[in-house]
Amino acid sequence: MNKFLFLLSEGLKNLWRHKLTVFTAVFSVFLSLSTIGVLFIAEQNTHKLIEYMRSKYKIEVFFKDTVTNEQAGQAVEKIKMIQGVYTTTLIPKEEALKVYKSQFGDDITEFLDYNPLPASCVVNIKRKYDGYLQITPIIEQIRKIDGVDTVNHQGRLISRIEKFYEQGLLGLSGVAFAIILVTVMIISNTIKLTIYANKDLIKALRIIGATNTFIRMPFILEGVFQGIIGTILASGLLYGAVYGANEVLRQLTAFTINVQWLFLSWLFLIAMVISLFGSSRAISKFLK
Amino acid sequence: MIQLENVSYTYRKGFGLANIDLTIDEGDFVFLIGPTGSGKTTLLSLLYMDILPDSGRVTIGDFNSDSIKKRKIPTLRRTIGMVSQNYYLLDDRNLFENVALPLHVIGHSQNEIAETVEAALEEVGLSGLEEHYPQELSGGEQQRACLARALIKDPDIILADEPTGNLDPVTSFDLIKLLEEINSEGTTVFMASHNYSLIKSRNHRIVEIHGGKLRSS
Repeated sequence: MNKFLFLLSEGLKNLWRHKLTVFTAVFSVFLSLSTIGVLFIAEQNTHKLIEYMRSKYKIEVFFKDTVTNEQAGQAVEKIKMIQGVYTTTLIPKEEALKVYKSQFGDDITEFLDYNPLPASCVVNIKRKYDGYLQITPIIEQIRKIDGVDTVNHQGRLISRIEKFYEQGLLGLSGVAFAIILVTVMIISNTIKLTIYANKDLIKALRIIGATNTFIRMPFILEGVFQGIIGTILASGLLYGAVYGANEVLRQLTAFTINVQWLFLSWLFLIAMVISLFGSSRAISKFLK
Repeated sequence: MIQLENVSYTYRKGFGLANIDLTIDEGDFVFLIGPTGSGKTTLLSLLYMDILPDSGRVTIGDFNSDSIKKRKIPTLRRTIGMVSQNYYLLDDRNLFENVALPLHVIGHSQNEIAETVEAALEEVGLSGLEEHYPQELSGGEQQRACLARALIKDPDIILADEPTGNLDPVTSFDLIKLLEEINSEGTTVFMASHNYSLIKSRNHRIVEIHGGKLRSS
């Protein structure tokens, strides 16, 4: 217990003793976590936007003239089973006639003596869908169903948006990974500099019989404390930025930035991993 | 007891020590004399197992270089007090904190540490300077601080590597007298030096090393 308290206090005192290197490391953690946080918030809100757009996707399926309402109903049941389909609305021939009449004002059965409008169906796509929603396979499957005549859709546009979204996600993950890697290197090198500056301390500790764990611990704790400070600062900045941005957005639009603040605990975890890995890497190389 | 049996060690860049045989009994005071580069520091490094011999065997009390596990080396070092020419005092800690360091390594409580540090500082004549930082102490005081840090864990052996190297003759003489006092209480002292005139009149055993080989012991 005495040893643990000593090592803990040494870790804390080191923050003051190595002010300059601590500042560099804290600033690196702060910058990287802030960037990762911004990327995460952007991802969350882009996802919301994509979900909204997906709710607007509509596929119109027209059945052949010969298809009865009952047969169309059976085909609609098959459409419902396709993966990625959220809802289906059957528009029977009579309903189509009513729509036509309400939109154009004419009753075409008066001229033709029969209803020429086919039964149709409106298909909505699932909003919650992990990653890239591929619309083409859905359309292909609908086309294969018996009785389907034509399928109207905004397939190309949807595909482009979805593909862009997927590539964006991949890009963001890559950027976040690169940032984490660079931060580990910065912290590792910063602590390596601190260790070089403390060669006498390490030499003194070795000759008086300190174990490698005892020598290592204050440096690792110093790294962890740097991570904690960096996370607190980054969390403060992100919270303040989102709060400020929402205040402005509320006055201009109905859209606000939504954040699941639980992600801060992920940031904290990332910071701990970065700091622990960075400091352990540096000290281990030195104590070999 | 300290025993070296046919010990050899070669550095990557060149020669170190060859076929060293040496025995120092418990409670002895032995000087190791030789010119710079003769292998004095290498020999002391082998004793506190900072390096392990390429061949032969080093025995310190219950530990020997053949069978010691890496994790046991710190335990061995806790039985040895090391004093060196470079002091290895920490500039960002005051005298009290520097001397207390070995007790923190062992895991003593704050009360024990306060008492033991005061006693060690009194023994080396540095009482009242607890709050001073190393840069505020003279060379002689720094070397005595280093000695206090070595003594505080009540070691069986004191290894001193050129402890008078940076000191004037009077301060050097005072330090040797202090080491003799410590030795009179039963602690084995093994001190390396290249200053023959300083040690020749002290009436202790002198071991001479030259070119990595012992000439007389």
